[in-house]
Amino acid sequence: MQPLANVTPLKPPARAGAIEVKNVGQVFRGRSQDVVALEDVSLEIKPGRFVVLVGPSGCGKSTLLMMMAGLRQQTSGTITISGAPIPQPDPDRVGVVFQEASLFPWLTAEDNVEFPLALRGVPKAERRAKAQDALKLVGLDGFGKRHPHELSGGMKQRVSIARGLVQDPPVLLMDEPFAALDEQTRMTMGDELLRIWAATGKTVVFVTHSLTEAVYLADEVIVMSARPGRIVDHLQVQLPRPRTYEMLSGDAFGSLRDRIWRHIRKSA
Amino acid sequence: MPGTIANNLARIAIVIAVLALWEVLSRTGIVNPRLLPSASDTFATLGDLLQRAAVRKDLMVTATEVLAAFALAVPFGALIGFAVAENRYFEDVAKPLLFFAFSIPKSIFLPMFILVFGVGFAQKVGFGFFSTIFIVIMSTTTAVESVKMEHLTVARSYGATRVQTAFRVYLPSMLPVLLEALRISMIFNLTGVILAEMYASRDGIGHQIATWGENFQMKQLLAGVVMVAAIAMTFNELVRWVETRCSHWRT
Repeated sequence: MQPLANVTPLKPPARAGAIEVKNVGQVFRGRSQDVVALEDVSLEIKPGRFVVLVGPSGCGKSTLLMMMAGLRQQTSGTITISGAPIPQPDPDRVGVVFQEASLFPWLTAEDNVEFPLALRGVPKAERRAKAQDALKLVGLDGFGKRHPHELSGGMKQRVSIARGLVQDPPVLLMDEPFAALDEQTRMTMGDELLRIWAATGKTVVFVTHSLTEAVYLADEVIVMSARPGRIVDHLQVQLPRPRTYEMLSGDAFGSLRDRIWRHIRKSA
Repeated sequence: MPGTIANNLARIAIVIAVLALWEVLSRTGIVNPRLLPSASDTFATLGDLLQRAAVRKDLMVTATEVLAAFALAVPFGALIGFAVAENRYFEDVAKPLLFFAFSIPKSIFLPMFILVFGVGFAQKVGFGFFSTIFIVIMSTTTAVESVKMEHLTVARSYGATRVQTAFRVYLPSMLPVLLEALRISMIFNLTGVILAEMYASRDGIGHQIATWGENFQMKQLLAGVVMVAAIAMTFNELVRWVETRCSHWRT
């Protein structure tokens, strides 16, 4: 068949991985009163950026992430991923990495990674090959046959990341993925994530409570306030890459972290 | 593992000791052998009984009743349990009532089953079903509650359909709890059917055991007890074996 020259592709590649949030609000209907979880949130994320959402508990950062994943619908406003709205989860456009314990304990690591492919009926051989690649990418080559209970916390999260990447979506959304890990593992996983991000060029939106983690990982940090959830600051982290452990004690790092902390203290 | 072997040896030793004590008490006449026939006599009688066509027919009757009651109670109970657990309103309203119903000893309803169904197959299957369904309902609600929210969200975020979610998340999450439920349900089910047979029946192994008891045929009675115990234990161990194979799912 001849390719049709005048047909515009459904998803123009230039927009792939771009995220646009416009005047988004989220209201939870309660029994006695409604709770405004998010109010008039707007932000624009360019393809390939590493963006971190921080804010006190209840600021709606996870809610915002769930809406970007198509797992929840906003009450008002629009969200587009790669140029199109996301009325329901779309694994082709968005991969999601959750907190710990999101792996299926009855499946091996590779079966967990293959899960999204199995849902769409990808043939076994192709599935396996893709899962192997994803496991290799996250540094778990040779661990595919283990069950989650045979893996450490950090390894489990590597499997989760592999699962998020296996369909090669341009956007990876991460909801406090390292919250349950000890500090040391958490730092290592941060470095690992940056390596994977650099290797894949994904747009990453990462939710965390840790200000150090936020500044260490991000190109941009979006600071939110609670009740109602609003964006109070949007900073560019100009620290050079690759990020190193020494930067943590530098002045540039400290002043960025202080700036975020002041916002959060004000709203908490 | 040496510990397991030692434990197994200890267990076998205990069983042998109990059998030996039984034999000695009866043989020496410390306990009247008419009340407690010796272990060797009992097992010999068991062998005899198993040769008899009438006893084998009784066993078949009981097995059919037990399986019929089980095959009805498990899917019905599972369906109701699922509906209760998945529906918030239904759970709030119906769950305490089920707990109440569960606490009532089922045996007091047996005369009603005889009045409604007469003496026969339907009465025993009906009572077995009734004895079993509550525990199945309760266990299923527990099993549904053991499905993790996170896992459902993962499935949804990767575009799982309802059927895929049912088979790939609900079923494997629930399986360990369901297997245990199956095992415990069978205990209730067997108890129900045998009780119904002992109370009023013309056939079945429960009826035979009751008759041997009334006729003071202690050897047959004890042999019958051993027979039923062996069947119950075999089923129990079979399910438990499957259970241990998927025990790590519980993490």
